[in-house]
Amino acid sequence: MKRLRAMLGYAWAFLAVVIVLATFMGNRYFSHKFVSATKITVSPRVTGGDVAKVSEHGNYKTMIHRPVFDGLIGERSTGFIQIDWEPVDGLPPVLEERVEPGGKREMAFTVRLDTRSGAATAKDHVGSGLPVDQVYKLRTGWAVRVLLQKGKAP
Amino acid sequence: MKRDAKDASTVSSRQSPLRALLIALPMMFLTLLMLTAGKRPPDPPHVAALAITFVFFNLFFFLMVRTGKTDRYRAPLFITYAVAFVISFISRIIEIRGSMALTETNILQAQAPFCHIAIPMVLIPAALTKTIIYPGTIIGSFASISSMLILWIGASLSLGRGFCGWACFFGGLEDGFSRILKRPVIKRIGATWTYLPYAVLLLIVLTSAAAFSPTYCEWLCPFKTVTEYVQVTSLKTLIQAIIFLSLFLGLVVVLPILTKRRTQCGLFCPFGAFQSFTNKANVFDIRIDRDKCVKCGRCVRTCPTFSMNDASIAEGVSRITCMKCGKCVDTCPKGAISYHVKGTPHPGRSDRYRLLFLYPAFLFLATMAGGSIRDAILRIIKLVTTGSMV
Repeated sequence: MKRLRAMLGYAWAFLAVVIVLATFMGNRYFSHKFVSATKITVSPRVTGGDVAKVSEHGNYKTMIHRPVFDGLIGERSTGFIQIDWEPVDGLPPVLEERVEPGGKREMAFTVRLDTRSGAATAKDHVGSGLPVDQVYKLRTGWAVRVLLQKGKAP
Repeated sequence: MKRDAKDASTVSSRQSPLRALLIALPMMFLTLLMLTAGKRPPDPPHVAALAITFVFFNLFFFLMVRTGKTDRYRAPLFITYAVAFVISFISRIIEIRGSMALTETNILQAQAPFCHIAIPMVLIPAALTKTIIYPGTIIGSFASISSMLILWIGASLSLGRGFCGWACFFGGLEDGFSRILKRPVIKRIGATWTYLPYAVLLLIVLTSAAAFSPTYCEWLCPFKTVTEYVQVTSLKTLIQAIIFLSLFLGLVVVLPILTKRRTQCGLFCPFGAFQSFTNKANVFDIRIDRDKCVKCGRCVRTCPTFSMNDASIAEGVSRITCMKCGKCVDTCPKGAISYHVKGTPHPGRSDRYRLLFLYPAFLFLATMAGGSIRDAILRIIKLVTTGSMV
Protein backbone atom coordinates (compact mmCIF):
# COMPACT_ATOMS: atom_id res chain seq x y z
CA MET A 1 0.00 0.00 0.00
CA LYS A 2 2.84 2.36 0.94
CA ARG A 3 4.58 1.53 -2.31
CA LEU A 4 1.44 2.16 -4.32
CA ARG A 5 0.90 5.52 -2.59
CA ALA A 6 4.48 6.50 -3.30
CA MET A 7 4.12 5.50 -6.95
CA LEU A 8 0.93 7.52 -7.27
CA GLY A 9 2.64 10.48 -5.61
CA TYR A 10 5.54 10.33 -8.05
CA ALA A 11 3.18 9.88 -10.99
CA TRP A 12 1.22 13.00 -10.02
CA ALA A 13 4.43 14.94 -9.45
CA PHE A 14 5.64 14.03 -12.97
CA LEU A 15 2.20 14.82 -14.32
CA ALA A 16 2.46 18.32 -12.84
CA VAL A 17 4.99 19.25 -15.55
CA VAL A 18 2.66 17.90 -18.24
CA ILE A 19 -0.21 19.91 -16.71
CA VAL A 20 1.87 23.11 -16.82
CA LEU A 21 2.81 22.49 -20.46
CA ALA A 22 -0.79 21.70 -21.39
CA THR A 23 -2.08 24.76 -19.49
CA PHE A 24 -0.02 27.13 -21.60
CA MET A 25 0.30 25.31 -24.92
CA GLY A 26 -3.33 24.25 -24.94
CA ASN A 27 -4.73 27.41 -23.37
CA ARG A 28 -6.58 28.51 -26.50
CA TYR A 29 -7.97 25.03 -27.14
CA PHE A 30 -9.09 24.48 -23.55
CA SER A 31 -10.56 28.00 -23.37
CA HIS A 32 -12.75 27.32 -26.41
CA LYS A 33 -13.73 23.89 -25.08
CA PHE A 34 -14.54 25.38 -21.68
CA VAL A 35 -16.75 28.09 -23.16
CA SER A 36 -18.57 25.75 -25.53
CA ALA A 37 -19.11 23.17 -22.78
CA THR A 38 -20.34 25.61 -20.13
CA LYS A 39 -22.09 28.08 -22.51
CA ILE A 40 -20.87 30.80 -20.19
CA THR A 41 -21.31 34.47 -21.12
CA VAL A 42 -20.68 37.86 -19.56
CA SER A 43 -23.57 38.93 -17.34
CA PRO A 44 -26.25 41.07 -19.03
CA ARG A 45 -25.90 43.42 -16.05
CA VAL A 46 -22.49 44.27 -17.55
CA THR A 47 -23.22 44.11 -21.28
CA GLY A 48 -26.81 45.38 -21.21
CA GLY A 49 -28.26 42.08 -22.46
CA ASP A 50 -29.18 40.93 -25.95
CA VAL A 51 -30.38 43.46 -28.51
CA ALA A 52 -34.13 42.96 -28.92
CA LYS A 53 -34.88 45.57 -31.59
CA VAL A 54 -32.92 47.66 -34.09
CA SER A 55 -34.45 50.86 -35.52
CA GLU A 56 -32.87 52.36 -38.64
CA HIS A 57 -33.02 56.17 -38.84
CA GLY A 58 -31.06 56.84 -42.02
CA ASN A 59 -27.85 58.35 -40.74
CA TYR A 60 -27.96 56.49 -37.42
CA LYS A 61 -29.52 53.44 -35.84
CA THR A 62 -30.93 52.66 -32.41
CA MET A 63 -30.49 49.34 -30.67
CA ILE A 64 -32.89 48.55 -27.87
CA HIS A 65 -31.79 45.75 -25.57
CA ARG A 66 -34.08 43.39 -23.70
CA PRO A 67 -35.02 44.54 -20.19
CA VAL A 68 -32.52 43.14 -17.67
CA PHE A 69 -33.89 41.94 -14.35
CA ASP A 70 -31.46 39.03 -14.01
CA GLY A 71 -30.59 38.11 -10.44
CA LEU A 72 -28.66 35.34 -8.77
CA ILE A 73 -31.75 33.18 -8.37
CA GLY A 74 -34.62 34.14 -10.64
CA GLU A 75 -35.36 37.73 -11.49
CA ARG A 76 -35.08 40.89 -9.42
CA SER A 77 -37.84 43.41 -8.88
CA THR A 78 -35.68 46.23 -10.25
CA GLY A 79 -33.71 46.27 -13.45
CA PHE A 80 -32.87 48.41 -16.45
CA ILE A 81 -33.15 48.64 -20.18
CA GLN A 82 -30.26 49.79 -22.34
CA ILE A 83 -30.62 51.84 -25.49
CA ASP A 84 -27.62 52.28 -27.83
CA TRP A 85 -27.26 54.80 -30.63
CA GLU A 86 -24.75 54.08 -33.34
CA PRO A 87 -23.95 56.50 -36.17
CA VAL A 88 -23.97 55.47 -39.81
CA ASP A 89 -23.13 58.96 -41.15
CA GLY A 90 -23.17 60.85 -37.88
CA LEU A 91 -25.47 61.49 -34.96
CA PRO A 92 -27.88 64.42 -34.71
CA PRO A 93 -27.43 66.73 -31.69
CA VAL A 94 -30.59 65.40 -30.05
CA LEU A 95 -31.65 61.76 -30.16
CA GLU A 96 -35.14 60.62 -29.29
CA GLU A 97 -36.57 57.12 -29.25
CA ARG A 98 -39.80 55.52 -28.17
CA VAL A 99 -39.09 52.33 -26.24
CA GLU A 100 -41.46 49.51 -25.42
CA PRO A 101 -39.61 47.30 -22.93
CA GLY A 102 -40.16 43.65 -23.82
CA GLY A 103 -42.60 44.76 -26.53
CA LYS A 104 -45.17 45.82 -23.91
CA ARG A 105 -47.04 48.91 -25.05
CA GLU A 106 -48.21 49.78 -21.53
CA MET A 107 -44.57 50.02 -20.42
CA ALA A 108 -43.64 52.42 -23.24
CA PHE A 109 -41.60 55.53 -22.63
CA THR A 110 -39.60 58.02 -24.65
CA VAL A 111 -35.91 58.50 -24.05
CA ARG A 112 -34.17 61.72 -25.15
CA LEU A 113 -30.42 62.28 -25.27
CA ASP A 114 -28.63 65.55 -25.93
CA THR A 115 -25.29 64.46 -27.45
CA ARG A 116 -23.75 67.93 -26.89
CA SER A 117 -24.17 67.83 -23.12
CA GLY A 118 -24.53 64.07 -22.58
CA ALA A 119 -27.75 64.66 -20.64
CA ALA A 120 -30.57 62.13 -20.96
CA THR A 121 -34.19 62.10 -19.85
CA ALA A 122 -36.89 59.45 -20.03
CA LYS A 123 -40.62 60.18 -19.87
CA ASP A 124 -43.65 57.92 -19.97
CA HIS A 125 -46.84 58.54 -21.98
CA VAL A 126 -48.25 60.96 -19.37
CA GLY A 127 -45.02 62.90 -19.17
CA SER A 128 -43.75 61.59 -15.83
CA GLY A 129 -39.98 61.26 -15.59
CA LEU A 130 -38.24 57.90 -15.31
CA PRO A 131 -34.88 57.48 -13.56
CA VAL A 132 -31.94 57.39 -15.97
CA ASP A 133 -29.28 55.16 -14.45
CA GLN A 134 -26.28 56.10 -16.55
CA VAL A 135 -25.26 57.72 -19.83
CA TYR A 136 -22.24 56.25 -21.62
CA LYS A 137 -20.20 57.86 -24.40
CA LEU A 138 -19.08 54.93 -26.50
CA ARG A 139 -16.23 54.90 -29.03
CA THR A 140 -18.65 55.48 -31.90
CA GLY A 141 -21.96 56.33 -30.26
CA TRP A 142 -23.92 56.62 -27.03
CA ALA A 143 -25.73 54.31 -24.63
CA VAL A 144 -28.30 55.07 -21.95
CA ARG A 145 -29.67 52.84 -19.22
CA VAL A 146 -33.14 53.56 -17.87
CA LEU A 147 -34.18 51.98 -14.58
CA LEU A 148 -37.27 49.77 -14.59
CA GLN A 149 -39.47 48.11 -12.02
CA LYS A 150 -40.68 44.66 -12.86
CA GLY A 151 -44.34 44.44 -13.73
CA LYS A 152 -44.94 48.13 -13.13
CA ALA A 153 -45.88 50.45 -15.94
CA PRO A 154 -43.89 53.66 -15.76
CA MET B 1 25.80 31.75 13.99
CA LYS B 2 28.85 30.41 12.15
CA ARG B 3 27.97 26.87 13.20
CA ASP B 4 24.42 27.39 11.96
CA ALA B 5 25.68 28.51 8.58
CA LYS B 6 27.95 25.49 8.36
CA ASP B 7 25.08 23.19 9.32
CA ALA B 8 22.90 24.76 6.71
CA SER B 9 25.47 24.27 3.97
CA THR B 10 26.01 20.65 4.88
CA VAL B 11 22.34 19.85 4.78
CA SER B 12 21.44 21.82 1.65
CA SER B 13 20.99 19.87 -1.56
CA ARG B 14 24.00 21.19 -3.47
CA GLN B 15 24.86 19.59 -6.80
CA SER B 16 28.14 19.44 -8.72
CA PRO B 17 28.29 21.91 -11.66
CA LEU B 18 28.06 19.12 -14.22
CA ARG B 19 25.15 17.41 -12.49
CA ALA B 20 23.39 20.75 -12.05
CA LEU B 21 23.86 21.46 -15.75
CA LEU B 22 22.44 18.08 -16.70
CA ILE B 23 19.42 18.65 -14.45
CA ALA B 24 18.96 22.16 -15.89
CA LEU B 25 19.18 21.07 -19.56
CA PRO B 26 15.56 19.89 -19.92
CA MET B 27 14.44 23.17 -18.34
CA MET B 28 16.46 25.09 -20.95
CA PHE B 29 14.66 23.20 -23.69
CA LEU B 30 11.24 23.67 -22.09
CA THR B 31 11.71 27.38 -21.39
CA LEU B 32 12.92 27.96 -24.94
CA LEU B 33 9.85 26.13 -26.22
CA MET B 34 7.49 28.10 -23.99
CA LEU B 35 9.13 31.49 -24.55
CA THR B 36 9.22 31.19 -28.35
CA ALA B 37 5.99 29.18 -28.75
CA GLY B 38 7.87 27.47 -31.58
CA LYS B 39 8.21 30.70 -33.59
CA ARG B 40 11.31 32.66 -34.56
CA PRO B 41 11.45 36.22 -33.21
CA PRO B 42 10.66 38.66 -36.07
CA ASP B 43 13.40 41.28 -35.60
CA PRO B 44 16.63 42.04 -33.67
CA PRO B 45 14.90 43.73 -30.67
CA HIS B 46 12.71 40.63 -30.25
CA VAL B 47 15.79 38.39 -30.53
CA ALA B 48 17.56 40.48 -27.86
CA ALA B 49 14.53 40.42 -25.53
CA LEU B 50 14.16 36.66 -25.96
CA ALA B 51 17.88 36.02 -25.40
CA ILE B 52 18.01 38.16 -22.24
CA THR B 53 14.88 36.51 -20.82
CA PHE B 54 16.07 33.01 -21.66
CA VAL B 55 19.54 33.50 -20.13
CA PHE B 56 18.10 35.27 -17.09
CA PHE B 57 15.74 32.42 -16.26
CA ASN B 58 18.07 29.56 -16.99
CA LEU B 59 20.98 31.06 -15.11
CA PHE B 60 18.79 31.34 -12.02
CA PHE B 61 17.44 27.83 -12.44
CA PHE B 62 20.97 26.49 -12.75
CA LEU B 63 21.96 28.33 -9.57
CA MET B 64 18.88 27.01 -7.80
CA VAL B 65 19.85 23.44 -8.65
CA ARG B 66 23.59 23.97 -8.07
CA THR B 67 23.33 25.64 -4.67
CA GLY B 68 20.25 23.87 -3.34
CA LYS B 69 18.76 27.25 -2.42
CA THR B 70 15.24 27.86 -3.68
CA ASP B 71 13.95 31.20 -2.41
CA ARG B 72 17.29 32.94 -2.86
CA TYR B 73 16.99 32.56 -6.65
CA ARG B 74 13.21 32.52 -6.91
CA ALA B 75 12.83 35.94 -5.32
CA PRO B 76 14.82 38.02 -7.87
CA LEU B 77 12.90 36.39 -10.73
CA PHE B 78 9.58 36.87 -8.98
CA ILE B 79 10.26 40.53 -8.21
CA THR B 80 11.47 41.23 -11.75
CA TYR B 81 8.31 39.54 -13.02
CA ALA B 82 6.07 41.86 -10.96
CA VAL B 83 7.87 45.00 -12.10
CA ALA B 84 7.89 43.83 -15.73
CA PHE B 85 4.21 42.95 -15.47
CA VAL B 86 3.30 46.45 -14.33
CA ILE B 87 5.31 48.04 -17.20
CA SER B 88 3.88 45.65 -19.77
CA PHE B 89 0.29 45.78 -18.49
CA ILE B 90 0.06 49.56 -18.29
CA SER B 91 1.59 49.96 -21.77
CA ARG B 92 -0.86 47.46 -23.25
CA ILE B 93 -3.84 49.04 -21.54
CA ILE B 94 -2.85 52.45 -22.89
CA GLU B 95 -2.46 50.92 -26.38
CA ILE B 96 -5.88 49.27 -26.23
CA ARG B 97 -7.95 51.88 -24.39
CA GLY B 98 -5.90 55.03 -24.78
CA SER B 99 -5.60 55.54 -21.02
CA MET B 100 -4.77 53.73 -17.79
CA ALA B 101 -8.11 54.87 -16.38
CA LEU B 102 -11.01 52.45 -16.26
CA THR B 103 -14.13 54.36 -17.25
CA GLU B 104 -17.81 53.44 -16.94
CA THR B 105 -17.82 53.02 -20.71
CA ASN B 106 -14.90 50.55 -20.55
CA ILE B 107 -16.93 48.57 -18.04
CA LEU B 108 -20.05 48.66 -20.24
CA GLN B 109 -18.01 47.49 -23.23
CA ALA B 110 -16.41 44.71 -21.12
CA GLN B 111 -12.88 45.99 -21.68
CA ALA B 112 -11.39 45.14 -18.28
CA PRO B 113 -8.71 42.43 -18.38
CA PHE B 114 -9.65 39.54 -16.11
CA CYS B 115 -7.51 38.84 -13.08
CA HIS B 116 -7.20 35.67 -10.99
CA ILE B 117 -8.18 37.53 -7.79
CA ALA B 118 -11.71 37.86 -9.19
CA ILE B 119 -12.13 34.08 -9.56
CA PRO B 120 -13.68 33.37 -6.12
CA MET B 121 -16.24 36.13 -6.73
CA VAL B 122 -17.44 34.89 -10.12
CA LEU B 123 -17.84 31.19 -9.31
CA ILE B 124 -21.20 31.21 -7.46
CA PRO B 125 -22.97 33.51 -9.97
CA ALA B 126 -21.40 31.49 -12.82
CA ALA B 127 -22.69 28.24 -11.35
CA LEU B 128 -26.21 29.59 -10.79
CA THR B 129 -26.70 31.82 -13.82
CA LYS B 130 -24.06 30.68 -16.35
CA THR B 131 -22.87 34.26 -16.54
CA ILE B 132 -19.72 35.97 -15.36
CA ILE B 133 -20.21 39.10 -13.27
CA TYR B 134 -17.04 40.72 -14.55
CA PRO B 135 -16.69 43.35 -17.29
CA GLY B 136 -14.19 41.34 -19.32
CA THR B 137 -14.29 39.32 -22.52
CA ILE B 138 -15.02 35.64 -22.33
CA ILE B 139 -12.57 34.52 -24.97
CA GLY B 140 -9.88 35.61 -27.36
CA SER B 141 -8.64 38.92 -26.02
CA PHE B 142 -5.82 40.09 -23.75
CA ALA B 143 -6.37 38.38 -20.36
CA SER B 144 -9.75 36.93 -21.27
CA ILE B 145 -11.89 35.27 -18.61
CA SER B 146 -11.69 31.73 -20.01
CA SER B 147 -7.95 31.95 -20.52
CA MET B 148 -7.37 33.01 -16.89
CA LEU B 149 -9.72 30.30 -15.62
CA ILE B 150 -7.73 27.66 -17.52
CA LEU B 151 -4.48 29.07 -16.08
CA TRP B 152 -5.95 28.92 -12.60
CA ILE B 153 -7.11 25.30 -13.01
CA GLY B 154 -3.67 24.31 -14.35
CA ALA B 155 -1.90 26.14 -11.52
CA SER B 156 -4.14 24.63 -8.86
CA LEU B 157 -3.60 21.09 -10.14
CA SER B 158 0.14 21.46 -10.52
CA LEU B 159 1.13 23.82 -7.69
CA GLY B 160 -1.81 24.38 -5.33
CA ARG B 161 -1.17 27.61 -3.45
CA GLY B 162 2.29 27.51 -4.95
CA PHE B 163 0.60 29.80 -7.48
CA CYS B 164 1.03 32.68 -5.01
CA GLY B 165 4.75 32.06 -4.63
CA TRP B 166 5.59 31.27 -8.23
CA ALA B 167 2.99 32.67 -10.61
CA CYS B 168 1.05 35.60 -9.14
CA PHE B 169 1.99 38.74 -11.04
CA PHE B 170 1.35 40.97 -8.02
CA GLY B 171 3.13 39.01 -5.28
CA GLY B 172 6.59 40.09 -6.40
CA LEU B 173 5.86 43.72 -5.52
CA GLU B 174 5.38 42.87 -1.86
CA ASP B 175 8.18 40.33 -1.99
CA GLY B 176 10.48 43.12 -3.18
CA PHE B 177 9.41 45.61 -0.52
CA SER B 178 9.67 42.96 2.21
CA ARG B 179 13.37 42.55 1.45
CA ILE B 180 14.36 46.20 1.80
CA LEU B 181 15.20 46.19 5.52
CA LYS B 182 17.63 43.76 7.04
CA ARG B 183 15.54 43.25 10.18
CA PRO B 184 11.83 43.70 10.75
CA VAL B 185 10.62 46.74 12.67
CA ILE B 186 7.30 45.06 13.56
CA LYS B 187 8.20 41.61 14.83
CA ARG B 188 4.99 40.20 16.22
CA ILE B 189 1.67 40.01 14.47
CA GLY B 190 -1.21 38.38 16.35
CA ALA B 191 -2.20 34.96 15.03
CA THR B 192 -5.82 36.10 14.76
CA TRP B 193 -4.90 38.41 11.89
CA THR B 194 -3.96 35.40 9.75
CA TYR B 195 -7.66 34.48 9.58
CA LEU B 196 -8.54 37.86 8.09
CA PRO B 197 -8.15 36.68 4.44
CA TYR B 198 -10.85 34.06 5.04
CA ALA B 199 -13.16 36.76 6.40
CA VAL B 200 -12.41 38.95 3.36
CA LEU B 201 -13.03 35.95 1.11
CA LEU B 202 -16.39 35.22 2.71
CA LEU B 203 -17.37 38.88 2.61
CA ILE B 204 -16.53 39.40 -1.06
CA VAL B 205 -18.07 36.11 -2.20
CA LEU B 206 -21.37 36.95 -0.47
CA THR B 207 -21.47 40.61 -1.44
CA SER B 208 -20.52 39.85 -5.06
CA ALA B 209 -23.29 37.29 -5.32
CA ALA B 210 -25.77 39.69 -3.74
CA ALA B 211 -24.73 42.78 -5.72
CA PHE B 212 -24.02 40.83 -8.90
CA SER B 213 -20.73 42.63 -9.35
CA PRO B 214 -17.13 41.92 -8.28
CA THR B 215 -17.06 43.90 -5.04
CA TYR B 216 -13.38 43.29 -4.28
CA CYS B 217 -12.38 44.75 -7.66
CA GLU B 218 -14.72 47.69 -7.13
CA TRP B 219 -13.76 48.53 -3.57
CA LEU B 220 -10.79 46.69 -2.12
CA CYS B 221 -8.15 45.79 -4.70
CA PRO B 222 -4.81 47.42 -3.78
CA PHE B 223 -3.36 46.57 -7.18
CA LYS B 224 -5.68 48.93 -9.04
CA THR B 225 -3.06 51.49 -8.12
CA VAL B 226 -0.51 49.88 -10.45
CA THR B 227 -2.78 48.49 -13.16
CA GLU B 228 -5.90 50.40 -14.15
CA TYR B 229 -7.02 53.10 -11.77
CA VAL B 230 -10.67 53.93 -11.62
CA GLN B 231 -11.43 57.24 -13.32
CA VAL B 232 -12.45 59.76 -10.68
CA THR B 233 -15.73 61.30 -11.85
CA SER B 234 -17.83 61.28 -8.68
CA LEU B 235 -17.62 61.08 -4.89
CA LYS B 236 -17.99 57.29 -5.13
CA THR B 237 -15.04 56.90 -7.50
CA LEU B 238 -12.99 59.31 -5.39
CA ILE B 239 -13.60 57.13 -2.30
CA GLN B 240 -12.72 54.03 -4.34
CA ALA B 241 -9.47 55.60 -5.53
CA ILE B 242 -8.52 56.62 -1.97
CA ILE B 243 -9.21 53.06 -0.71
CA PHE B 244 -7.12 51.50 -3.51
CA LEU B 245 -4.19 53.81 -2.89
CA SER B 246 -4.35 53.42 0.90
CA LEU B 247 -4.48 49.64 0.72
CA PHE B 248 -1.61 49.59 -1.76
CA LEU B 249 0.58 51.84 0.35
CA GLY B 250 -0.36 50.07 3.58
CA LEU B 251 -0.41 46.41 2.60
CA VAL B 252 1.93 46.26 -0.37
CA VAL B 253 4.56 48.87 0.51
CA VAL B 254 4.74 49.99 4.16
CA LEU B 255 3.76 46.84 6.09
CA PRO B 256 5.95 44.48 3.99
CA ILE B 257 8.89 46.82 4.61
CA LEU B 258 8.23 46.97 8.36
CA THR B 259 7.36 43.30 8.91
CA LYS B 260 9.50 41.67 6.18
CA ARG B 261 6.40 39.62 5.27
CA ARG B 262 3.98 39.55 2.35
CA THR B 263 1.22 41.21 4.34
CA GLN B 264 -1.36 41.63 1.58
CA CYS B 265 -0.96 37.92 0.65
CA GLY B 266 -0.87 36.70 4.24
CA LEU B 267 -3.34 39.01 5.92
CA PHE B 268 -5.76 40.25 3.26
CA CYS B 269 -5.82 38.54 -0.16
CA PRO B 270 -9.09 36.62 -0.64
CA PHE B 271 -7.68 34.74 -3.61
CA GLY B 272 -4.78 33.54 -1.43
CA ALA B 273 -7.27 32.26 1.14
CA PHE B 274 -9.28 30.58 -1.60
CA GLN B 275 -6.17 29.07 -3.19
CA SER B 276 -5.11 27.64 0.19
CA PHE B 277 -7.84 25.03 -0.17
CA THR B 278 -6.25 23.78 -3.40
CA ASN B 279 -3.17 22.88 -1.33
CA LYS B 280 -5.23 20.03 0.10
CA ALA B 281 -5.65 18.58 -3.36
CA ASN B 282 -2.08 19.20 -4.50
CA VAL B 283 0.71 16.65 -4.43
CA PHE B 284 3.47 18.93 -3.12
CA ASP B 285 3.82 20.13 0.45
CA ILE B 286 6.43 21.35 2.91
CA ARG B 287 7.38 18.97 5.71
CA ILE B 288 9.31 19.44 8.93
CA ASP B 289 11.48 16.65 10.26
CA ARG B 290 10.70 16.83 13.97
CA ASP B 291 13.79 14.80 14.86
CA LYS B 292 16.07 17.36 13.21
CA CYS B 293 14.13 20.46 14.29
CA VAL B 294 15.74 22.35 17.18
CA LYS B 295 12.77 24.73 17.52
CA CYS B 296 14.88 27.82 16.85
CA GLY B 297 11.82 29.50 15.33
CA ARG B 298 13.58 30.91 12.26
CA CYS B 299 10.99 29.45 9.91
CA VAL B 300 8.20 30.99 11.99
CA ARG B 301 9.90 34.40 11.88
CA THR B 302 10.72 34.35 8.17
CA CYS B 303 7.67 32.74 6.54
CA PRO B 304 6.17 35.49 4.32
CA THR B 305 2.60 34.23 4.70
CA PHE B 306 2.61 33.21 8.38
CA SER B 307 2.36 29.54 7.40
CA MET B 308 4.67 28.24 10.11
CA ASN B 309 3.80 28.24 13.79
CA ASP B 310 4.42 26.06 16.82
CA ALA B 311 1.42 23.90 16.00
CA SER B 312 2.52 23.29 12.41
CA ILE B 313 6.05 22.44 13.56
CA ALA B 314 4.64 19.98 16.09
CA GLU B 315 2.52 18.49 13.32
CA GLY B 316 5.48 18.30 10.95
CA VAL B 317 3.80 20.09 8.05
CA SER B 318 3.36 23.74 7.07
CA ARG B 319 -0.06 25.38 7.37
CA ILE B 320 -2.62 25.23 4.57
CA THR B 321 -1.65 28.80 3.57
CA CYS B 322 1.89 27.77 2.52
CA MET B 323 2.82 29.08 -0.94
CA LYS B 324 5.89 26.84 -1.28
CA CYS B 325 8.32 29.70 -1.87
CA GLY B 326 11.09 27.76 -0.14
CA LYS B 327 12.15 30.55 2.23
CA CYS B 328 11.83 28.31 5.31
CA VAL B 329 13.68 25.51 3.52
CA ASP B 330 16.56 27.91 2.74
CA THR B 331 16.55 29.40 6.25
CA CYS B 332 16.43 26.26 8.41
CA PRO B 333 19.91 25.84 9.93
CA LYS B 334 19.40 22.10 10.44
CA GLY B 335 17.90 21.22 7.10
CA ALA B 336 14.82 20.00 8.92
CA ILE B 337 12.40 21.56 6.43
CA SER B 338 12.07 20.17 2.93
CA TYR B 339 9.78 19.87 -0.06
CA HIS B 340 7.79 16.66 -0.10
CA VAL B 341 5.67 14.67 -2.52
CA LYS B 342 2.53 13.36 -0.83
CA GLY B 343 2.39 9.60 -0.56
CA THR B 344 6.16 9.19 -0.52
CA PRO B 345 8.14 8.44 2.64
CA HIS B 346 9.19 11.29 4.90
CA PRO B 347 11.98 11.94 5.61
CA GLY B 348 13.03 10.46 2.31
CA ARG B 349 14.64 11.67 -0.89
CA SER B 350 14.19 15.36 -0.18
CA ASP B 351 16.52 16.36 -3.08
CA ARG B 352 14.38 14.41 -5.47
CA TYR B 353 11.13 15.83 -4.05
CA ARG B 354 12.50 19.34 -4.36
CA LEU B 355 13.44 18.87 -8.00
CA LEU B 356 10.08 17.31 -8.76
CA PHE B 357 8.44 20.45 -7.37
CA LEU B 358 10.90 22.89 -8.95
CA TYR B 359 10.27 21.67 -12.48
CA PRO B 360 6.55 22.52 -12.71
CA ALA B 361 6.85 25.56 -10.43
CA PHE B 362 9.77 27.11 -12.28
CA LEU B 363 8.28 26.30 -15.66
CA PHE B 364 5.05 28.01 -14.63
CA LEU B 365 6.98 31.05 -13.43
CA ALA B 366 9.17 31.19 -16.53
CA THR B 367 6.20 30.94 -18.87
CA MET B 368 3.99 33.43 -17.02
CA ALA B 369 6.81 35.86 -16.34
CA GLY B 370 8.62 35.30 -19.63
CA GLY B 371 5.96 37.08 -21.66
CA SER B 372 5.86 40.08 -19.32
CA ILE B 373 9.65 40.37 -19.04
CA ARG B 374 10.17 40.11 -22.81
CA ASP B 375 7.47 42.68 -23.43
CA ALA B 376 8.91 45.03 -20.78
CA ILE B 377 12.40 44.73 -22.35
CA LEU B 378 10.95 45.50 -25.80
CA ARG B 379 9.10 48.52 -24.43
CA ILE B 380 12.24 49.79 -22.72
CA ILE B 381 14.15 49.38 -26.02
CA LYS B 382 11.28 51.28 -27.72
CA LEU B 383 11.43 53.99 -25.06
CA VAL B 384 15.16 54.44 -25.57
CA THR B 385 14.95 54.48 -29.37
CA THR B 386 11.67 56.34 -29.95
CA GLY B 387 10.92 58.12 -26.68
CA SER B 388 7.65 56.24 -26.14
CA MET B 389 6.72 52.86 -24.65
CA VAL B 390 3.46 52.45 -26.57
